[in-house]
Amino acid sequence: MKYEMFDAKKIIGEVTLQEADANPNIVVVSTDSAPRTGMAGFIAKYPDRYYELGIMEQSAIGVSSGFATAGKVPVFCAPAPFVTARPFEMFKIDIGYMQQNVKAIGRNCGFNYSDLGPTHYGLEDIALVRLIPGVTVLAPIDASQLRGAMRTMLRHGGPVYLRIGTAPIHKIFDEEAFVIGEGKVVREGKDVAIVTTGEIAVNVFEAAETLAAQGINAMVVTMPTISPLDEAIIRKAAEATGRIVVVEEHYEVGGLGTAVCETCAKIAPVPVKRLGVPHVYLSAGPYDDLVKYCKLDSAGIVETVKAFIAQENS
Amino acid sequence: MEANTLNELKKFALDIRIETLNMISKHGFGHMGGSLSVADAITVLYGNQMKYDPENPKWDGRDYLVLSKGHCGPALYSALAIKGFFPREELLTINKLGTRLPSHVDKNLTPGIDMTAGSLGQGVSCALGIALGLKLQNKPNMVYAIIGDGEAQEGQVWETMLIAPNRGVKNFIVLLDNNKQQLDEFTEHISSLGDIRRKAEDFGWYALTVDGHDLSAIDEAIEKCKAEDKPGFINMETVKGKGWPDKEAILGNHALRGAAFAGVDEAIDNLRKELAAI
Ligand SMILES: Cc1ncc(C[n+]2csc(CCOP(=O)(O)OP(=O)(O)O)c2C)c(N)n1
Ligand SMILES: [Mg+2]
Repeated sequence: MKYEMFDAKKIIGEVTLQEADANPNIVVVSTDSAPRTGMAGFIAKYPDRYYELGIMEQSAIGVSSGFATAGKVPVFCAPAPFVTARPFEMFKIDIGYMQQNVKAIGRNCGFNYSDLGPTHYGLEDIALVRLIPGVTVLAPIDASQLRGAMRTMLRHGGPVYLRIGTAPIHKIFDEEAFVIGEGKVVREGKDVAIVTTGEIAVNVFEAAETLAAQGINAMVVTMPTISPLDEAIIRKAAEATGRIVVVEEHYEVGGLGTAVCETCAKIAPVPVKRLGVPHVYLSAGPYDDLVKYCKLDSAGIVETVKAFIAQENS
Repeated sequence: MEANTLNELKKFALDIRIETLNMISKHGFGHMGGSLSVADAITVLYGNQMKYDPENPKWDGRDYLVLSKGHCGPALYSALAIKGFFPREELLTINKLGTRLPSHVDKNLTPGIDMTAGSLGQGVSCALGIALGLKLQNKPNMVYAIIGDGEAQEGQVWETMLIAPNRGVKNFIVLLDNNKQQLDEFTEHISSLGDIRRKAEDFGWYALTVDGHDLSAIDEAIEKCKAEDKPGFINMETVKGKGWPDKEAILGNHALRGAAFAGVDEAIDNLRKELAAI
């Protein structure tokens, strides 16, 4: 299926600007990456509310926390590893433990920075931030949801981490209000449930069509919020299908797959197959090659789901 | 420096620039600006200063270079290939799936690379660790670290600035590729480093400023640092994109993609002509 494509960075910048018009407390904090990454409009209109600090991510988190205490709503957007892994302890204490109203955006997550290689991949950000109690973790599925999630995040009181890849992203859904904590069944099915998050979901939708043509009816559940997790929908998927495959552009360890396993172990014990990035150090390489190598393309998802069902039935 | 040596270095520098532009433009993406600004420092290190053995990259008599501004891998890969660490043809595998040459330097992949870098600020601490480890064993090997001026905004850099003189390492030289630009902007407009040479001196380093495109001046500065009893800090005044005149010192020359390489063939041709004329 062909979808219209959007630049995620532009959406982030546009919504920030719109919300900033309504809320004079919104400020943007940057570490050498704002103007060329969507915030140009904000900078032009609100130069006094834009803080380009330089390449100092640890300070960016600390400064954002301070801004929150001073009544501001800081938005810090940078490549996912530099928002989460590099300043992890600042995130943990200055944002999480203090429950500060900071909005952190990890862009170019997953393999998005395929041209830059492993130091720039964002494959552990969900795991890291999910580990910090009381921080909302969002991973919108498409362009419309990104818009909605940005708006909701900027109006929500409390710490939020939003992850997004910034290659062109698909517009799949119509725009609607984004509600934190809600998963969604986007396709009914009884043979298996595929639970997914982030823009890689588009490959899941395609895989579900292929599977259907082969007589396998997959329920597809999107989880644009990872923390707090919609446990009710996981239970529903588990009860309706008896087995779950989780697809995400993140390490298989620590991400949505792990969160789903934790939930299933607690309230709905069914077999779970995690299909993410294998927990090893991967090569640099073109994005499509990497996605294919990890079987996160639709063919790889189809193959994995079929093998999982066959193994379960044997 | 003898005229002969200087000529060889000049050729080496041009060769590095040619290979760098060739590899990143053929791949269609790469950190052009910082790779070209640092090419002359790498030339002096691998052309006249460092001890190494391309046949045996882990030779324990070697000197170490940590390219802390790891995104400039292409310049270093070019130097390593020219010096025979691996075949020149391999340069064209940059960033292909399974390559030994990712865009950021990686110690577990590339012969001749001793430290992985890419997340700015980290490499320089690792380099200090090598220097301390060698010092502990009374080894004479030198350790060099190259940092960027944008990178110098990272707090971690300043932790190293503080520790090295306190620990009395003298087998350690940090070279700052002060090309006045970072990713998005001129460094001055973001968070200026101010009088960086003086700051280093105040922290206890033997610090000096040189023209980072003057091969004999860089070589001389390294010699001076080696003669001192302190860690050395060389502030190299450089031009981002040096060697591709159309791209020098302009915004947007940090990393190029696709169409932004327009004109690169002519730039490479001109460098080749310059090389042939020496
Ligand atoms: C910790 C970290 N933050 C951000 C980046 C993204 N980044 C890569 S290069 C760069 C600019 C570096 O500027 P500078 O150190 O002056 O390098 P040069 O001008 O030599 O290319 C930035 C912000 C990174 N690699 N690591
Ligand atoms: Mg620079």
